[in-house]
Amino acid sequence: MHNINPSVKAGTVTIAAIAVAFLFDPVTLLLYTGWTMAVTLLLGKIQIRKYFLYLLPFTIFALGMLVSTLLFAKTPAHPSVTQQFLFWNLPSETVQDALALAIRVFSYATLSLLFVLTTDKVAFILSLIQQCRVSPKLAYGILAGYRFLPLLTNELTTIRSAHLVRGARTKTSRLTRYKQYTIPLLASAIRKAERTAVAMESKGFTGERDRTYYRSYHIRWTDWVFGFVMICALGLCIVFSKSFQ
Amino acid sequence: MKNWRMKDIVVMAALAVVFGIVYLVFLPVNVVMMGLIGPIGTDIIFGVWFLVSIVAAYIIQKPGVALISETIAGIVEVLIGSSVGPIVILSAVVQGFGAEAAFTITRYRSYHVFVLMGAGIGAAITSFIWGYFRGGFTALDPSYVVLMLVVRIISGAVISGLIGKAISEALAKTGTLTSFPLGKTYRQRKAG
Repeated sequence: MHNINPSVKAGTVTIAAIAVAFLFDPVTLLLYTGWTMAVTLLLGKIQIRKYFLYLLPFTIFALGMLVSTLLFAKTPAHPSVTQQFLFWNLPSETVQDALALAIRVFSYATLSLLFVLTTDKVAFILSLIQQCRVSPKLAYGILAGYRFLPLLTNELTTIRSAHLVRGARTKTSRLTRYKQYTIPLLASAIRKAERTAVAMESKGFTGERDRTYYRSYHIRWTDWVFGFVMICALGLCIVFSKSFQ
Repeated sequence: MKNWRMKDIVVMAALAVVFGIVYLVFLPVNVVMMGLIGPIGTDIIFGVWFLVSIVAAYIIQKPGVALISETIAGIVEVLIGSSVGPIVILSAVVQGFGAEAAFTITRYRSYHVFVLMGAGIGAAITSFIWGYFRGGFTALDPSYVVLMLVVRIISGAVISGLIGKAISEALAKTGTLTSFPLGKTYRQRKAG
């Protein structure tokens, strides 16, 4: 799983996610969510505990979706067709819709985790340059910007110390604290970015396409197989749940 | 892309990184809002997710900044480990297009407050159309959906348009933007 070309993986996940957006059948979605989970856990060598920890926020999100869809659902076409849902008797259509939307959240979540947990970040950007013909100027710019991320926490401590040294009030409300920190943080990020850009150019970075790469990425046949199997599985889920009903 | 300085790109990326974090911080807020008052809770704070488009476009003032900065913010979200995954990049592109449209209409000449608010509104509309298909709003009551759209447009105009403008101008005041169009106009205004 970790060896699959990042661009192909991202493409597959995106196509699957778009396809899922057009599905309204809870059974299909449930099946596909299960399949995605199985692929991630079996082929991705992910710790099961860690995986479910990541899924936890989605459970809350899905529950919110379920409740709100039940409450704010459009008037069903056949209100007389009802079914038992937990303790209430509700129109079947509403229940189906609500379940589908809630399971869809999980469907997205598992697809995303499939990508996020098994992909190296830098590899993804480099593969975007090499396979998707993203401009190296832009891509390396992004990588440079991404490197600021760990520096930002340092910067925040610096700003806080500076405020303390100058006797600024630090025990303020959350809102004023946001104002206190956002602007200095952004200003220092911009300064750093300018310096980095100058440094990159002074070391001969032109951002042209005909450059060489230390780490090169290629699309192999296994990548195509992965994409094909993932999309076919979705098709199978649709067919299977149709025959099931 | 040809007439972009390296500086523009890295600064844009840096802004996108900072706002990518802001976006991530607001995801749990979104979950809470949604849990409390239903899907419309998201729309109230949705303008937050367009901020980088407006701020970056206002500072750098080049064609494509709104679109690309939003896209990078989306990529950064994925890189940090957004719980929503690569689909976020696509959502970001859609929002970026909406914001970019407002600047394209003025041919990148005007960065008046109404244009900035228009960018927020544009992003609100495109993101809503995208959300309509992706989030399954079709299952909701049509009048509720219209209400969601109105709330999101207001949020786009106020949060991303007005607050985005305020952030950019506060930055110009610090003097860090002297080599960017916004910093230059700020200096001229101060001198003149």
